[in-house]
Amino acid sequence: MIERHIHSAQTDDPGPEEPAATRERLRALFPRGATRRMTQLGLLLGGVLDPVRPAEEDALIYASSYGESRALHEYLASFPTASPTLFQTSIHPSAVQQVLVTRQQPVREFLPFGGRAQIVAHAAQAALLSPAGRSIFCGGEERHVPPGTTTAASPIGFAFALALSPAAVGSLGTLRLTESDDAGGELALPEFFLALRQRRAIDQAAAPGLRLTLAWH
Amino acid sequence: MSAAADSQPVPIEAADCRTPFGDARATSAALRQGRRALTLQPVLGAAGGDSVPLATLPGRSLDETAPPAWLSCLDGLAASIPEAAWGDARHPVFVTSSNFGVGSLYAFARGHGPDHLEFCTPFALVDGLRRRFGWGGNVAVLSHACVSAHVGLLQASRVLAGGRAERALVFSFDFISPFVTGGFHALKILNPEMPAPYAVRPTGSIGLGDGAGFAVLGRSGAGFSLSAQSLYNEMNHFTANRADGAGFAACLAPVAAAAQGRRLWLKGHGTGTLEAGRLEAEGFGRLFPASPLVSWKGGLGHTLGSCGLVELAVAIAAVRGGEAAGTVGTTAPCFVDAVATEPFPTSAYDGVVLASNAFGGAHAACLLTHD
Repeated sequence: MIERHIHSAQTDDPGPEEPAATRERLRALFPRGATRRMTQLGLLLGGVLDPVRPAEEDALIYASSYGESRALHEYLASFPTASPTLFQTSIHPSAVQQVLVTRQQPVREFLPFGGRAQIVAHAAQAALLSPAGRSIFCGGEERHVPPGTTTAASPIGFAFALALSPAAVGSLGTLRLTESDDAGGELALPEFFLALRQRRAIDQAAAPGLRLTLAWH
Repeated sequence: MSAAADSQPVPIEAADCRTPFGDARATSAALRQGRRALTLQPVLGAAGGDSVPLATLPGRSLDETAPPAWLSCLDGLAASIPEAAWGDARHPVFVTSSNFGVGSLYAFARGHGPDHLEFCTPFALVDGLRRRFGWGGNVAVLSHACVSAHVGLLQASRVLAGGRAERALVFSFDFISPFVTGGFHALKILNPEMPAPYAVRPTGSIGLGDGAGFAVLGRSGAGFSLSAQSLYNEMNHFTANRADGAGFAACLAPVAAAAQGRRLWLKGHGTGTLEAGRLEAEGFGRLFPASPLVSWKGGLGHTLGSCGLVELAVAIAAVRGGEAAGTVGTTAPCFVDAVATEPFPTSAYDGVVLASNAFGGAHAACLLTHD
Protein backbone atom coordinates (compact mmCIF):
# COMPACT_ATOMS: atom_id res chain seq x y z
CA MET A 1 0.00 0.00 0.00
CA ILE A 2 1.25 3.46 -0.84
CA GLU A 3 -0.46 6.64 0.32
CA ARG A 4 -0.04 10.35 0.76
CA HIS A 5 -2.14 12.89 2.53
CA ILE A 6 -3.99 15.67 0.78
CA HIS A 7 -3.01 19.13 1.96
CA SER A 8 -4.70 21.13 -0.75
CA ALA A 9 -7.47 20.15 -3.15
CA GLN A 10 -8.36 22.63 -5.87
CA THR A 11 -10.96 22.20 -8.60
CA ASP A 12 -12.42 24.32 -11.38
CA ASP A 13 -15.58 23.42 -13.27
CA PRO A 14 -15.95 26.01 -16.03
CA GLY A 15 -19.10 24.43 -17.48
CA PRO A 16 -19.81 25.72 -20.99
CA GLU A 17 -17.50 28.72 -20.54
CA GLU A 18 -15.68 29.79 -23.70
CA PRO A 19 -11.91 30.42 -23.63
CA ALA A 20 -12.31 34.21 -23.74
CA ALA A 21 -14.48 34.12 -20.63
CA THR A 22 -12.03 31.82 -18.86
CA ARG A 23 -9.23 34.23 -19.74
CA GLU A 24 -11.15 37.15 -18.30
CA ARG A 25 -12.11 35.24 -15.15
CA LEU A 26 -8.58 34.07 -14.36
CA ARG A 27 -6.53 36.96 -15.77
CA ALA A 28 -5.57 38.30 -12.35
CA LEU A 29 -3.72 35.11 -11.49
CA PHE A 30 -1.10 35.61 -14.21
CA PRO A 31 1.49 38.28 -15.00
CA ARG A 32 0.17 41.13 -17.10
CA GLY A 33 -0.19 40.13 -20.77
CA ALA A 34 0.66 36.49 -20.10
CA THR A 35 -2.79 35.05 -20.78
CA ARG A 36 -3.02 36.29 -24.34
CA ARG A 37 -1.52 33.15 -25.87
CA MET A 38 -2.55 30.67 -23.21
CA THR A 39 -5.00 27.91 -24.02
CA GLN A 40 -8.16 27.33 -22.04
CA LEU A 41 -6.60 24.23 -20.50
CA GLY A 42 -3.51 26.22 -19.57
CA LEU A 43 -5.66 28.87 -17.91
CA LEU A 44 -7.68 26.30 -15.99
CA LEU A 45 -4.52 24.52 -14.80
CA GLY A 46 -3.03 27.88 -13.85
CA GLY A 47 -6.09 28.57 -11.74
CA VAL A 48 -5.96 25.36 -9.74
CA LEU A 49 -2.16 25.41 -9.42
CA ASP A 50 -2.09 28.99 -8.17
CA PRO A 51 -2.91 28.20 -4.51
CA VAL A 52 -0.65 25.13 -4.60
CA ARG A 53 2.40 26.97 -5.96
CA PRO A 54 4.64 24.21 -7.34
CA ALA A 55 8.25 24.53 -6.19
CA GLU A 56 11.48 23.31 -7.76
CA GLU A 57 11.84 20.12 -5.75
CA ASP A 58 8.16 19.12 -5.93
CA ALA A 59 7.16 16.25 -8.17
CA LEU A 60 4.55 17.48 -10.63
CA ILE A 61 2.29 14.81 -12.05
CA TYR A 62 -0.11 15.82 -14.83
CA ALA A 63 -2.95 13.83 -16.35
CA SER A 64 -5.01 14.66 -19.43
CA SER A 65 -6.63 12.26 -21.88
CA TYR A 66 -7.07 14.78 -24.69
CA GLY A 67 -4.51 17.47 -23.88
CA GLU A 68 -4.42 20.57 -26.00
CA SER A 69 -7.25 19.75 -28.38
CA ARG A 70 -8.13 23.33 -29.30
CA ALA A 71 -4.52 24.24 -30.06
CA LEU A 72 -4.13 20.99 -32.00
CA HIS A 73 -7.04 21.76 -34.26
CA GLU A 74 -6.16 25.44 -34.63
CA TYR A 75 -2.64 24.38 -35.57
CA LEU A 76 -4.02 21.98 -38.18
CA ALA A 77 -6.12 24.79 -39.60
CA SER A 78 -2.99 26.94 -39.98
CA PHE A 79 -1.52 24.71 -42.72
CA PRO A 80 0.05 25.08 -45.22
CA THR A 81 1.71 27.98 -43.38
CA ALA A 82 2.01 26.13 -40.07
CA SER A 83 1.93 28.31 -36.96
CA PRO A 84 5.07 27.84 -34.84
CA THR A 85 3.29 29.14 -31.74
CA LEU A 86 0.38 26.74 -32.09
CA PHE A 87 2.80 23.88 -32.80
CA GLN A 88 4.56 24.50 -29.48
CA THR A 89 1.27 24.93 -27.68
CA SER A 90 -0.25 21.76 -29.08
CA ILE A 91 2.13 19.34 -27.36
CA HIS A 92 0.60 17.18 -24.65
CA PRO A 93 1.97 18.76 -21.47
CA SER A 94 1.75 22.32 -22.78
CA ALA A 95 -0.96 23.42 -20.32
CA VAL A 96 1.34 22.99 -17.34
CA GLN A 97 4.33 24.38 -19.23
CA GLN A 98 2.35 27.51 -20.11
CA VAL A 99 1.68 28.09 -16.44
CA LEU A 100 5.21 27.42 -15.20
CA VAL A 101 6.99 29.25 -18.01
CA THR A 102 4.77 32.25 -17.32
CA ARG A 103 5.71 32.07 -13.64
CA GLN A 104 9.37 31.19 -14.40
CA GLN A 105 9.09 28.23 -12.05
CA PRO A 106 11.40 25.28 -12.71
CA VAL A 107 10.51 21.82 -11.43
CA ARG A 108 12.82 18.85 -11.25
CA GLU A 109 10.20 16.19 -11.88
CA PHE A 110 7.38 16.60 -14.36
CA LEU A 111 5.61 13.40 -15.35
CA PRO A 112 2.77 13.97 -17.85
CA PHE A 113 0.32 11.10 -18.36
CA GLY A 114 -2.13 10.37 -21.16
CA GLY A 115 -4.47 7.39 -21.50
CA ARG A 116 -8.06 7.21 -20.37
CA ALA A 117 -9.48 4.25 -18.46
CA GLN A 118 -6.51 3.77 -16.12
CA ILE A 119 -5.02 7.26 -16.28
CA VAL A 120 -5.98 8.16 -12.71
CA ALA A 121 -4.44 5.00 -11.26
CA HIS A 122 -1.21 5.38 -13.19
CA ALA A 123 -0.78 9.09 -12.50
CA ALA A 124 -1.65 8.55 -8.84
CA GLN A 125 0.94 5.78 -8.71
CA ALA A 126 3.56 8.23 -9.97
CA ALA A 127 2.51 10.81 -7.39
CA LEU A 128 2.62 8.28 -4.56
CA LEU A 129 5.89 6.61 -5.57
CA SER A 130 7.86 9.79 -6.15
CA PRO A 131 10.59 10.30 -3.58
CA ALA A 132 9.98 14.05 -3.65
CA GLY A 133 8.80 15.53 -0.37
CA ARG A 134 5.68 16.92 -1.97
CA SER A 135 3.81 15.63 -5.00
CA ILE A 136 1.37 17.75 -6.89
CA PHE A 137 -1.15 15.71 -8.87
CA CYS A 138 -2.99 17.87 -11.36
CA GLY A 139 -5.05 17.30 -14.46
CA GLY A 140 -7.84 18.45 -16.63
CA GLU A 141 -9.43 18.83 -20.03
CA GLU A 142 -10.69 21.67 -22.17
CA ARG A 143 -14.13 21.43 -23.77
CA HIS A 144 -13.99 21.35 -27.53
CA VAL A 145 -15.94 20.06 -30.52
CA PRO A 146 -13.52 19.91 -33.45
CA PRO A 147 -14.90 19.95 -36.99
CA GLY A 148 -16.24 16.63 -38.20
CA THR A 149 -15.64 14.51 -35.11
CA THR A 150 -16.89 14.11 -31.57
CA THR A 151 -14.19 11.65 -30.54
CA ALA A 152 -11.00 13.68 -30.84
CA ALA A 153 -11.62 16.15 -28.00
CA SER A 154 -13.17 16.31 -24.57
CA PRO A 155 -16.90 17.18 -24.36
CA ILE A 156 -16.34 18.79 -20.97
CA GLY A 157 -13.76 21.04 -19.37
CA PHE A 158 -12.38 20.83 -15.84
CA ALA A 159 -9.18 21.06 -13.85
CA PHE A 160 -7.93 19.90 -10.49
CA ALA A 161 -4.78 19.96 -8.38
CA LEU A 162 -3.93 18.01 -5.25
CA ALA A 163 -0.95 18.74 -3.03
CA LEU A 164 0.19 15.47 -1.46
CA SER A 165 2.70 14.79 1.28
CA PRO A 166 3.55 12.02 3.77
CA ALA A 167 2.45 14.22 6.71
CA ALA A 168 -1.00 13.38 8.08
CA VAL A 169 -1.25 16.36 10.43
CA GLY A 170 -3.53 19.06 9.08
CA SER A 171 -4.49 17.11 5.98
CA LEU A 172 -7.86 17.18 4.23
CA GLY A 173 -7.85 13.55 3.19
CA THR A 174 -5.81 10.67 1.88
CA LEU A 175 -5.03 9.24 -1.55
CA ARG A 176 -4.05 5.58 -1.41
CA LEU A 177 -3.22 2.76 -3.84
CA THR A 178 -3.44 -0.80 -2.63
CA GLU A 179 -2.25 -3.84 -4.53
CA SER A 180 -5.21 -6.06 -5.29
CA ASP A 181 -6.18 -9.20 -7.15
CA ASP A 182 -8.39 -7.26 -9.54
CA ALA A 183 -7.66 -8.25 -13.11
CA GLY A 184 -9.33 -5.11 -14.42
CA GLY A 185 -10.43 -1.73 -13.17
CA GLU A 186 -11.08 1.72 -14.56
CA LEU A 187 -11.26 5.26 -13.26
CA ALA A 188 -11.25 8.07 -15.79
CA LEU A 189 -10.47 11.70 -15.12
CA PRO A 190 -14.06 13.08 -15.19
CA GLU A 191 -15.16 10.68 -12.45
CA PHE A 192 -12.10 11.46 -10.35
CA PHE A 193 -12.67 15.18 -10.85
CA LEU A 194 -16.29 14.92 -9.71
CA ALA A 195 -15.26 13.07 -6.57
CA LEU A 196 -12.76 15.80 -5.78
CA ARG A 197 -15.28 18.52 -6.54
CA GLN A 198 -17.94 16.96 -4.33
CA ARG A 199 -15.49 15.77 -1.66
CA ARG A 200 -16.82 12.28 -2.27
CA ALA A 201 -14.91 9.14 -1.32
CA ILE A 202 -13.67 6.59 -3.85
CA ASP A 203 -12.73 2.99 -3.16
CA GLN A 204 -12.52 0.94 -6.34
CA ALA A 205 -10.31 -1.04 -8.68
CA ALA A 206 -8.73 1.60 -10.89
CA ALA A 207 -6.34 -0.54 -12.98
CA PRO A 208 -5.27 -4.18 -12.99
CA GLY A 209 -3.88 -4.88 -9.54
CA LEU A 210 -4.46 -1.33 -8.29
CA ARG A 211 -7.26 -0.30 -5.94
CA LEU A 212 -7.57 3.46 -5.49
CA THR A 213 -8.94 4.94 -2.29
CA LEU A 214 -9.77 8.61 -1.89
CA ALA A 215 -10.85 9.43 1.65
CA TRP A 216 -11.79 12.78 3.21
CA HIS A 217 -11.42 13.63 6.90
CA MET B 1 15.61 14.30 -2.85
CA SER B 2 14.52 12.56 -5.99
CA ALA B 3 17.89 12.41 -7.69
CA ALA B 4 19.42 10.21 -5.01
CA ALA B 5 16.48 7.84 -4.98
CA ASP B 6 16.81 7.26 -8.71
CA SER B 7 20.37 6.01 -8.37
CA GLN B 8 19.25 2.50 -7.50
CA PRO B 9 20.46 0.28 -10.38
CA VAL B 10 17.68 -1.25 -12.46
CA PRO B 11 18.68 -4.22 -14.64
CA ILE B 12 17.91 -4.10 -18.35
CA GLU B 13 16.89 -7.53 -19.54
CA ALA B 14 16.44 -6.60 -23.20
CA ALA B 15 16.29 -3.57 -25.45
CA ASP B 16 15.87 -3.12 -29.17
CA CYS B 17 14.69 -0.53 -31.63
CA ARG B 18 13.59 0.11 -35.17
CA THR B 19 14.94 2.90 -37.35
CA PRO B 20 15.13 3.23 -41.13
CA PHE B 21 18.35 1.20 -40.86
CA GLY B 22 16.62 -1.71 -39.10
CA ASP B 23 17.06 -3.04 -35.57
CA ALA B 24 19.52 -1.77 -32.97
CA ARG B 25 22.39 -3.90 -34.25
CA ALA B 26 21.86 -2.84 -37.86
CA THR B 27 21.42 0.76 -36.80
CA SER B 28 24.62 0.75 -34.79
CA ALA B 29 26.49 -0.81 -37.72
CA ALA B 30 25.13 1.75 -40.20
CA LEU B 31 26.05 4.64 -37.93
CA ARG B 32 29.55 3.26 -37.46
CA GLN B 33 29.89 3.34 -41.23
CA GLY B 34 28.89 7.01 -41.14
CA ARG B 35 25.70 6.42 -43.06
CA ARG B 36 22.77 8.83 -43.02
CA ALA B 37 19.18 7.63 -43.20
CA LEU B 38 18.19 11.24 -43.81
CA THR B 39 17.27 12.29 -47.32
CA LEU B 40 15.88 15.58 -48.56
CA GLN B 41 12.10 15.26 -48.89
CA PRO B 42 9.22 17.76 -49.26
CA VAL B 43 8.35 19.01 -45.80
CA LEU B 44 4.62 18.49 -46.26
CA GLY B 45 4.81 15.19 -48.10
CA ALA B 46 2.47 15.07 -51.08
CA ALA B 47 1.52 18.70 -50.43
CA GLY B 48 5.12 19.70 -51.23
CA GLY B 49 7.10 22.53 -49.68
CA ASP B 50 10.81 22.95 -49.04
CA SER B 51 13.01 19.88 -49.18
CA VAL B 52 14.22 19.03 -45.68
CA PRO B 53 16.18 16.12 -44.15
CA LEU B 54 13.81 13.33 -43.13
CA ALA B 55 14.38 9.65 -42.38
CA THR B 56 11.31 7.52 -42.91
CA LEU B 57 11.06 3.75 -42.72
CA PRO B 58 11.84 2.05 -46.06
CA GLY B 59 8.87 2.50 -48.39
CA ARG B 60 6.91 4.62 -45.92
CA SER B 61 5.46 7.90 -47.11
CA LEU B 62 5.26 10.95 -44.88
CA ASP B 63 1.54 11.04 -45.69
CA GLU B 64 -0.37 8.84 -43.26
CA THR B 65 -2.37 5.86 -44.42
CA ALA B 66 -5.31 4.27 -42.61
CA PRO B 67 -4.33 2.11 -40.84
CA PRO B 68 -0.90 3.71 -40.41
CA ALA B 69 1.82 1.98 -42.43
CA TRP B 70 4.12 2.04 -39.41
CA LEU B 71 1.98 -0.48 -37.51
CA SER B 72 3.85 -3.29 -39.24
CA CYS B 73 7.11 -1.86 -37.88
CA LEU B 74 5.68 -1.95 -34.37
CA ASP B 75 4.49 -5.53 -34.98
CA GLY B 76 8.06 -6.56 -35.71
CA LEU B 77 9.39 -4.71 -32.70
CA ALA B 78 6.72 -6.16 -30.39
CA ALA B 79 7.51 -9.66 -31.64
CA SER B 80 11.06 -9.27 -30.34
CA ILE B 81 9.99 -8.41 -26.77
CA PRO B 82 10.76 -11.23 -24.31
CA GLU B 83 7.60 -13.06 -23.34
CA ALA B 84 5.66 -12.21 -20.20
CA ALA B 85 2.08 -11.52 -19.20
CA TRP B 86 2.54 -7.92 -20.27
CA GLY B 87 -0.13 -5.60 -18.98
CA ASP B 88 -1.11 -7.65 -15.95
CA ALA B 89 -0.68 -6.39 -12.41
CA ARG B 90 2.93 -7.57 -12.02
CA HIS B 91 4.08 -6.84 -15.60
CA PRO B 92 3.13 -3.23 -16.31
CA VAL B 93 3.68 -1.61 -19.68
CA PHE B 94 4.66 2.05 -20.10
CA VAL B 95 3.91 3.36 -23.58
CA THR B 96 5.52 6.68 -24.40
CA SER B 97 5.39 8.90 -27.44
CA SER B 98 5.39 12.54 -28.34
CA ASN B 99 3.13 12.29 -31.36
CA PHE B 100 1.22 9.02 -31.02
CA GLY B 101 -1.18 9.04 -34.02
CA VAL B 102 -1.22 12.74 -34.72
CA GLY B 103 -0.32 12.05 -38.35
CA SER B 104 -3.73 10.41 -38.62
CA LEU B 105 -5.37 13.51 -37.18
CA TYR B 106 -3.53 15.58 -39.79
CA ALA B 107 -4.76 13.25 -42.55
CA PHE B 108 -8.33 13.43 -41.25
CA ALA B 109 -8.16 17.22 -41.07
CA ARG B 110 -6.93 17.31 -44.67
CA GLY B 111 -10.06 15.40 -45.76
CA HIS B 112 -8.60 11.94 -46.12
CA GLY B 113 -11.53 10.21 -44.46
CA PRO B 114 -12.91 9.05 -41.12
CA ASP B 115 -10.89 5.81 -41.15
CA HIS B 116 -8.04 7.85 -39.66
CA LEU B 117 -10.05 8.77 -36.57
CA GLU B 118 -9.49 5.57 -34.64
CA PHE B 119 -5.75 6.35 -34.47
CA CYS B 120 -6.07 10.06 -33.60
CA THR B 121 -6.12 10.16 -29.82
CA PRO B 122 -3.27 8.73 -27.74
CA PHE B 123 -5.60 6.59 -25.63
CA ALA B 124 -7.44 5.11 -28.63
CA LEU B 125 -4.20 4.32 -30.41
CA VAL B 126 -2.58 2.76 -27.35
CA ASP B 127 -5.72 0.75 -26.62
CA GLY B 128 -5.57 -0.56 -30.18
CA LEU B 129 -1.90 -1.48 -29.76
CA ARG B 130 -2.71 -3.18 -26.46
CA ARG B 131 -5.26 -5.42 -28.16
CA ARG B 132 -3.02 -5.96 -31.17
CA PHE B 133 -0.12 -7.17 -29.03
CA GLY B 134 -2.24 -9.12 -26.52
CA TRP B 135 -1.31 -6.95 -23.56
CA GLY B 136 -3.56 -6.64 -20.50
CA GLY B 137 -4.99 -3.38 -19.21
CA ASN B 138 -2.08 -2.29 -17.04
CA VAL B 139 -0.67 0.01 -19.71
CA ALA B 140 0.36 3.49 -18.60
CA VAL B 141 0.66 6.24 -21.20
CA LEU B 142 3.21 9.05 -20.84
CA SER B 143 3.97 11.95 -23.14
CA HIS B 144 6.56 14.63 -22.45
CA ALA B 145 7.63 15.63 -25.95
CA CYS B 146 11.21 14.53 -26.72
CA VAL B 147 12.01 13.27 -23.21
CA SER B 148 8.97 10.95 -23.23
CA ALA B 149 10.97 7.71 -23.32
CA HIS B 150 13.17 8.80 -20.42
CA VAL B 151 10.11 9.66 -18.35
CA GLY B 152 8.70 6.19 -19.05
CA LEU B 153 11.97 4.54 -18.05
CA LEU B 154 12.05 6.51 -14.81
CA GLN B 155 8.48 5.68 -13.84
CA ALA B 156 8.92 2.00 -14.75
CA SER B 157 12.07 1.93 -12.60
CA ARG B 158 10.23 3.40 -9.65
CA VAL B 159 7.42 0.87 -9.94
CA LEU B 160 10.04 -1.89 -9.91
CA ALA B 161 12.03 -0.32 -7.08
CA GLY B 162 8.84 -0.02 -5.07
CA GLY B 163 8.31 -3.76 -5.37
CA ARG B 164 5.11 -3.28 -7.35
CA ALA B 165 6.16 -5.25 -10.41
CA GLU B 166 8.40 -8.17 -11.35
CA ARG B 167 9.34 -6.86 -14.76
CA ALA B 168 8.33 -3.74 -16.67
CA LEU B 169 8.13 -3.02 -20.38
CA VAL B 170 8.78 0.48 -21.69
CA PHE B 171 7.66 0.85 -25.30
CA SER B 172 8.13 4.05 -27.25
CA PHE B 173 7.49 5.19 -30.79
CA ASP B 174 7.24 8.28 -32.96
CA PHE B 175 6.64 8.33 -36.68
CA ILE B 176 6.95 11.63 -38.46
CA SER B 177 4.14 13.28 -40.41
CA PRO B 178 3.49 16.69 -41.96
CA PHE B 179 2.06 17.70 -38.59
CA VAL B 180 5.47 17.57 -36.94
CA THR B 181 7.66 18.36 -39.94
CA GLY B 182 5.52 21.42 -40.65
CA GLY B 183 5.91 22.54 -37.06
CA PHE B 184 9.68 22.25 -36.88
CA HIS B 185 9.92 23.85 -40.32
CA ALA B 186 7.83 26.76 -39.03
CA LEU B 187 10.32 27.12 -36.19
CA LYS B 188 13.01 27.36 -38.94
CA ILE B 189 15.23 24.67 -37.39
CA LEU B 190 14.12 22.07 -39.95
CA ASN B 191 15.54 23.58 -43.09
CA PRO B 192 17.26 22.33 -46.28
CA GLU B 193 20.61 21.78 -44.49
CA MET B 194 21.61 18.39 -43.13
CA PRO B 195 22.20 18.35 -39.36
CA ALA B 196 25.76 18.53 -38.04
CA PRO B 197 25.40 18.13 -34.27
CA TYR B 198 27.85 20.13 -32.12
CA ALA B 199 29.60 21.58 -35.20
CA VAL B 200 30.54 25.24 -35.22
CA ARG B 201 28.78 26.60 -38.31
CA PRO B 202 26.70 29.62 -39.27
CA THR B 203 23.25 27.98 -39.30
CA GLY B 204 21.79 25.28 -37.17
CA SER B 205 19.56 22.58 -38.60
CA ILE B 206 17.92 19.36 -37.54
CA GLY B 207 16.62 16.28 -39.31
CA LEU B 208 13.60 14.26 -38.22
CA GLY B 209 13.26 10.49 -38.31
CA ASP B 210 10.99 7.55 -37.61
CA GLY B 211 11.89 5.58 -34.53
CA ALA B 212 10.57 3.03 -32.07
CA GLY B 213 12.15 1.11 -29.24
CA PHE B 214 11.57 -0.90 -26.12
CA ALA B 215 13.35 -1.91 -22.96
CA VAL B 216 12.43 -4.66 -20.54
CA LEU B 217 13.52 -3.79 -17.02
CA GLY B 218 13.75 -5.81 -13.84
CA ARG B 219 15.55 -9.06 -14.52
CA SER B 220 19.34 -9.21 -14.40
CA GLY B 221 21.55 -11.40 -16.53
CA ALA B 222 22.02 -9.37 -19.69
CA GLY B 223 24.81 -7.38 -18.09
CA PHE B 224 23.31 -3.90 -18.46
CA SER B 225 21.69 -1.61 -15.89
CA LEU B 226 20.23 1.84 -15.63
CA SER B 227 22.31 2.98 -12.68
CA ALA B 228 21.03 6.54 -12.37
CA GLN B 229 18.25 8.60 -13.88
CA SER B 230 17.58 12.30 -13.64
CA LEU B 231 15.05 14.86 -14.85
CA TYR B 232 14.97 18.63 -14.77
CA ASN B 233 12.50 21.10 -16.28
CA GLU B 234 13.70 24.68 -16.65
CA MET B 235 10.33 26.21 -17.54
CA ASN B 236 12.25 29.27 -18.71
CA HIS B 237 11.00 29.40 -22.31
CA PHE B 238 9.00 27.09 -24.54
CA THR B 239 11.71 26.55 -27.12
CA ALA B 240 14.91 27.91 -25.59
CA ASN B 241 17.14 26.96 -22.70
CA ARG B 242 18.48 29.21 -20.01
CA ALA B 243 21.49 30.96 -21.49
CA ASP B 244 23.69 30.03 -18.52
CA GLY B 245 23.22 26.30 -19.14
CA ALA B 246 21.85 25.80 -15.62
CA GLY B 247 19.20 23.35 -16.76
CA PHE B 248 21.76 21.02 -18.35
CA ALA B 249 23.89 21.17 -15.21
CA ALA B 250 20.93 20.53 -12.88
CA CYS B 251 19.94 17.42 -14.82
CA LEU B 252 23.43 16.00 -15.31
CA ALA B 253 24.77 16.62 -11.78
CA PRO B 254 23.02 13.66 -10.08
CA VAL B 255 24.12 11.36 -12.90
CA ALA B 256 27.70 12.61 -12.62
CA ALA B 257 27.62 11.96 -8.89
CA ALA B 258 26.40 8.41 -9.44
CA ALA B 259 29.06 7.85 -12.11
CA GLN B 260 32.04 8.78 -9.91
CA GLY B 261 35.00 6.54 -10.68
CA ARG B 262 33.61 5.22 -13.93
CA ARG B 263 35.11 5.58 -17.39
CA LEU B 264 32.33 7.04 -19.50
CA TRP B 265 31.38 7.96 -23.00
CA LEU B 266 28.50 10.30 -23.65
CA LYS B 267 25.56 10.05 -26.03
CA GLY B 268 24.10 13.53 -26.12
CA HIS B 269 20.80 14.83 -27.46
CA GLY B 270 22.54 16.76 -30.22
CA THR B 271 19.81 17.53 -32.74
CA GLY B 272 21.94 20.02 -34.64
CA THR B 273 20.60 23.30 -33.29
CA LEU B 274 23.35 25.76 -32.44
CA GLU B 275 22.56 27.27 -29.04
CA ALA B 276 21.20 24.12 -27.41
CA GLY B 277 24.04 22.10 -28.91
CA ARG B 278 26.66 24.47 -27.53
CA LEU B 279 25.06 24.57 -24.07
CA GLU B 280 24.78 20.79 -23.98
CA ALA B 281 28.35 20.17 -25.15
CA GLU B 282 29.75 22.67 -22.67
CA GLY B 283 27.61 21.22 -19.87
CA PHE B 284 28.92 17.74 -20.60
CA GLY B 285 32.45 19.10 -20.85
CA ARG B 286 32.33 20.64 -17.38
CA LEU B 287 31.11 17.46 -15.66
CA PHE B 288 32.77 14.80 -17.81
CA PRO B 289 35.90 16.45 -19.22
CA ALA B 290 37.64 13.21 -20.21
CA SER B 291 34.67 11.59 -21.97
CA PRO B 292 34.01 11.47 -25.72
CA LEU B 293 30.66 12.93 -26.75
CA VAL B 294 28.56 11.70 -29.66
CA SER B 295 25.18 12.42 -31.19
CA TRP B 296 23.57 10.08 -33.72
CA LYS B 297 20.84 12.41 -34.93
CA GLY B 298 22.93 13.43 -37.92
CA GLY B 299 22.37 9.89 -39.18
CA LEU B 300 18.96 8.97 -37.79
CA GLY B 301 17.36 12.35 -37.52
CA HIS B 302 15.61 13.27 -34.30
CA THR B 303 13.19 10.47 -33.49
CA LEU B 304 11.30 12.75 -31.11
CA GLY B 305 9.77 11.18 -28.02
CA SER B 306 11.22 7.78 -28.82
CA CYS B 307 14.81 9.01 -29.06
CA GLY B 308 15.71 8.09 -25.49
CA LEU B 309 14.84 4.45 -26.01
CA VAL B 310 16.03 4.18 -29.61
CA GLU B 311 19.43 5.56 -28.68
CA LEU B 312 19.60 3.46 -25.49
CA ALA B 313 19.11 0.32 -27.60
CA VAL B 314 21.73 1.52 -30.10
CA ALA B 315 24.16 2.24 -27.26
CA ILE B 316 23.71 -1.27 -25.88
CA ALA B 317 24.28 -2.69 -29.36
CA ALA B 318 27.41 -0.57 -29.65
CA VAL B 319 28.80 -1.89 -26.37
CA ARG B 320 27.99 -5.45 -27.38
CA GLY B 321 29.70 -4.91 -30.73
CA GLY B 322 32.73 -3.28 -29.13
CA GLU B 323 32.57 -0.03 -31.09
CA ALA B 324 30.43 3.11 -30.85
CA ALA B 325 29.57 5.30 -33.81
CA GLY B 326 30.88 8.84 -33.89
CA THR B 327 28.84 11.95 -34.52
CA VAL B 328 27.58 11.26 -38.02
CA GLY B 329 27.53 14.30 -40.27
CA THR B 330 29.83 16.41 -38.13
CA THR B 331 33.36 17.54 -38.85
CA ALA B 332 35.60 19.78 -36.76
CA PRO B 333 35.56 22.47 -35.50
CA CYS B 334 33.09 21.54 -32.78
CA PHE B 335 31.84 23.31 -29.68
CA VAL B 336 34.14 21.19 -27.51
CA ASP B 337 37.15 19.07 -28.40
CA ALA B 338 35.56 16.00 -26.84
CA VAL B 339 33.08 15.58 -29.69
CA ALA B 340 33.94 12.28 -31.36
CA THR B 341 33.39 12.40 -35.10
CA GLU B 342 34.73 8.92 -35.79
CA PRO B 343 33.86 5.50 -34.31
CA PHE B 344 35.77 4.45 -31.21
CA PRO B 345 36.19 1.21 -29.25
CA THR B 346 33.95 0.88 -26.19
CA SER B 347 36.25 -1.53 -24.36
CA ALA B 348 37.96 1.31 -22.50
CA TYR B 349 34.69 2.35 -20.86
CA ASP B 350 32.29 0.89 -18.31
CA GLY B 351 29.41 3.30 -18.63
CA VAL B 352 27.48 5.58 -20.97
CA VAL B 353 25.57 8.73 -20.09
CA LEU B 354 22.58 9.23 -22.38
CA ALA B 355 20.73 12.54 -22.46
CA SER B 356 17.68 13.99 -24.18
CA ASN B 357 16.02 17.40 -24.17
CA ALA B 358 12.59 18.72 -25.04
CA PHE B 359 10.32 21.73 -25.30
CA GLY B 360 9.95 23.72 -22.10
CA GLY B 361 13.63 23.30 -21.26
CA ALA B 362 12.98 19.70 -20.28
CA HIS B 363 16.10 17.64 -19.62
CA ALA B 364 16.52 13.93 -18.98
CA ALA B 365 19.62 11.82 -18.51
CA CYS B 366 20.48 8.31 -17.44
CA LEU B 367 23.58 6.29 -16.71
CA LEU B 368 23.87 2.98 -18.56
CA THR B 369 26.38 0.64 -16.95
CA HIS B 370 27.55 -2.79 -18.05
CA ASP B 371 29.49 -5.69 -16.63
